Amino acid sequence: MICESLKTCFDDPGKFLGEWFVLLPALVLLLAAAAAVVLRNLIHATLCLTLSFIALGILFIALGAEFVGFVQLLVYVGAVAMLIVFAILLTRPERLAKSDTALSGLGPAGGALAGFVTLGVLLGFLFTSPIAKKSLPGPASAPVAEIGHALMGDYKAALIVVGVLLTAALVGAAVLAMEDKNS
Amino acid sequence: MTLQILLALSAILFAFGLAAILSRSNAIMILIGIELMLGAANLNFIAFWRFSGNPSDLTGVLFAIFSIAVAAAEAAVGLAIIILVHRRIQSVEVDDASNLKG
Repeated sequence: MICESLKTCFDDPGKFLGEWFVLLPALVLLLAAAAAVVLRNLIHATLCLTLSFIALGILFIALGAEFVGFVQLLVYVGAVAMLIVFAILLTRPERLAKSDTALSGLGPAGGALAGFVTLGVLLGFLFTSPIAKKSLPGPASAPVAEIGHALMGDYKAALIVVGVLLTAALVGAAVLAMEDKNS
Repeated sequence: MTLQILLALSAILFAFGLAAILSRSNAIMILIGIELMLGAANLNFIAFWRFSGNPSDLTGVLFAIFSIAVAAAEAAVGLAIIILVHRRIQSVEVDDASNLKG
């Protein structure tokens, strides 16, 4: 009995835990992203961003894309969030209060307006499109073995290009951030 | 559950990121907004793959993986540029980096 339900859980987590397995991380994701945008303190905003990355990873896993979910957790929570915290510490502004509250030319009203207009256009298309009304098809999963076969098969050129891009980006980042001894 | 819920979630996330980019002048906050928008795009890829009815076609999943890799490279270079700019002008405000302004 327990074995059976565990198997269902692994085969199709969404079915086992119901829609809440998707809706709960979605809710956390929304709240954390809103907090990351609104909060004035940089460190708090970064922590909220990390929480939204975690929720997004769990959402991917709940939707059946386990590999993408774990990559999301490793790369974003493990590396990108850490990188942002490092950058905040390295660029610690002397006038902390000013930096944390400073707004650009558009200001919060302009930014919110642009966001609302974009959201309105997107949701307008979304609620009139017939494709968006599709309901959930049967269980889906993306086995790691098949992803590996696809990466080494049809997508090998893209994989090599991404490898070169990552190498160039990391070497470039190191060179950019290196202390210039001559000056 | 319909595809609509996930697409609406992704649209809201994208709007949050856009609002953050346009309203903040701190370069690191702008980068946070960019990361939110990239996450919204990835969510779209996964949602369309999940609802396509043909999950053995892994295009959506692979696109999301490549997108995450490119986003990681972008974050690394972006933060290195922010650190460099901070070393030159002692500020991470984009409004202060106006040397080329006519």
